Amino acid sequence: MKREMVLNVNGEEHDVEIEPNRLLLEALREDVGLTGTKEGCSIGVCGACSVIVDGRLVSACLTLAAACEGKKIETIEGLARDGELHPLQRAFVQFGGFQCGICTPGQIMAAKALLDHNPNPTTDQVKEWMSANLCRCTGYYKILESVMAVVEGKVDEGRRDEAVRQARIQSLYQSDTYKSNASD
Amino acid sequence: MRAKFEYLAPTSLDEVCALLQEHEGDAKLLAGGTALVMWLRMGLLSPGYVIDLENVPGLDGITYDPADGLRIGAGVKHRDLELCPEVREHYPLLQETFYKVAQPRIRLMATVGGNLSHGDPMTDPGASFMALDAEVTLRSSRGERTVSVEDFFVDYYETALEPDEILTSIHVPPPAGPAWSHIKFTPRSEEDFATVGVAVTLTGTSSRCDDARIALNSVGPTIFRARAAEDVLRGRDLSPARIEEAGAAAADASDPIEDVRGSSDYKRDLTAVFVHRALEQAAARLG
Repeated sequence: MKREMVLNVNGEEHDVEIEPNRLLLEALREDVGLTGTKEGCSIGVCGACSVIVDGRLVSACLTLAAACEGKKIETIEGLARDGELHPLQRAFVQFGGFQCGICTPGQIMAAKALLDHNPNPTTDQVKEWMSANLCRCTGYYKILESVMAVVEGKVDEGRRDEAVRQARIQSLYQSDTYKSNASD
Repeated sequence: MRAKFEYLAPTSLDEVCALLQEHEGDAKLLAGGTALVMWLRMGLLSPGYVIDLENVPGLDGITYDPADGLRIGAGVKHRDLELCPEVREHYPLLQETFYKVAQPRIRLMATVGGNLSHGDPMTDPGASFMALDAEVTLRSSRGERTVSVEDFFVDYYETALEPDEILTSIHVPPPAGPAWSHIKFTPRSEEDFATVGVAVTLTGTSSRCDDARIALNSVGPTIFRARAAEDVLRGRDLSPARIEEAGAAAADASDPIEDVRGSSDYKRDLTAVFVHRALEQAAARLG
């Protein structure tokens, strides 16, 4: 049976009338009308539907909208302020962090969730965290570079010296993401 | 979404138990949602009621006491267990296991109790809890009981939970020794389900193994202990020949199904190899 409820998305309250089995993904796209959040795999693997609910990163495809009543939902549409893109958005533009763009809203929301909790992550921490977001254009190092540009305050510096850039990509390749962090 | 259901959001454990009793057999508990919502979407489950545990106090928290061990609320997220300093220090096997489950976003959503209650033989945590001799507390309006994790897994996606029961916490005894291992083989990508997963704890010395616990996931209808393999080691040395014998015994005890992760024969062979490797790794930690 449909129920009326209020969803707080990007600081704005939206009245929706939805079934209990409505997914947050469907509610955002079809009831609230914010289509920036994408559906990819539908089973929580790809990260295209990543949004932030009460400060925690979630897959909107595995979250019931009814469970988000009274919570603060953040989506890609909420990042730009007064026509100015969020630093993460600017970084993805400046550093080529996307190609086709389908995964990009999820990539940026995932990165935001990380930086909200830890503004100074290491390259390995960024790699580990962002491993939950797939990019089928395989632009992973550009994505990593974009996120690290925000971490290191390099956004808006313009096109950097090519030699510096190459050295930087080299260092990103050399850091070891998948080493276990367990202590022996 | 194929399933249609009513959504209930109780605010106490007593209320949860009352609802489970009222809708016995027709209600499913929702915690992280990573398993349940996917199954509801696919229509593999179609309960009349989904009971959300989000607003239920008393299911969170991790506490460690040297004499009592570790107590984990069923609602604790995988990620929080993985990052818990006491877990890292005293239960590196759990830290290693949870760190390797799926990927960070799933670990942020999925709960420890939800994972166990789902009864999925393909997931890793149950094997490590079994290797650590953990038990779970189950609660209903009729009362509370504890069940070892080993007895908790009954059959394919079937646990000891009665329809009116909820898993509220997990208790892990104080760590028995420093020797442990958790390894798994993921065939397609790192966050995939395992073809085989092995959790091992050993006590004793390399020349005499006092006790061994070997638990396996993904190679049978449930997560299970390879007791025959443990018997090979208990009271004996941990020589390469003995370890190989234990690996073979574990493979004999496995009963894997053929799927995209390999044929039954392949998985059985892999079980022998991975138990062997896990035992070598754990034995090296005995010093």
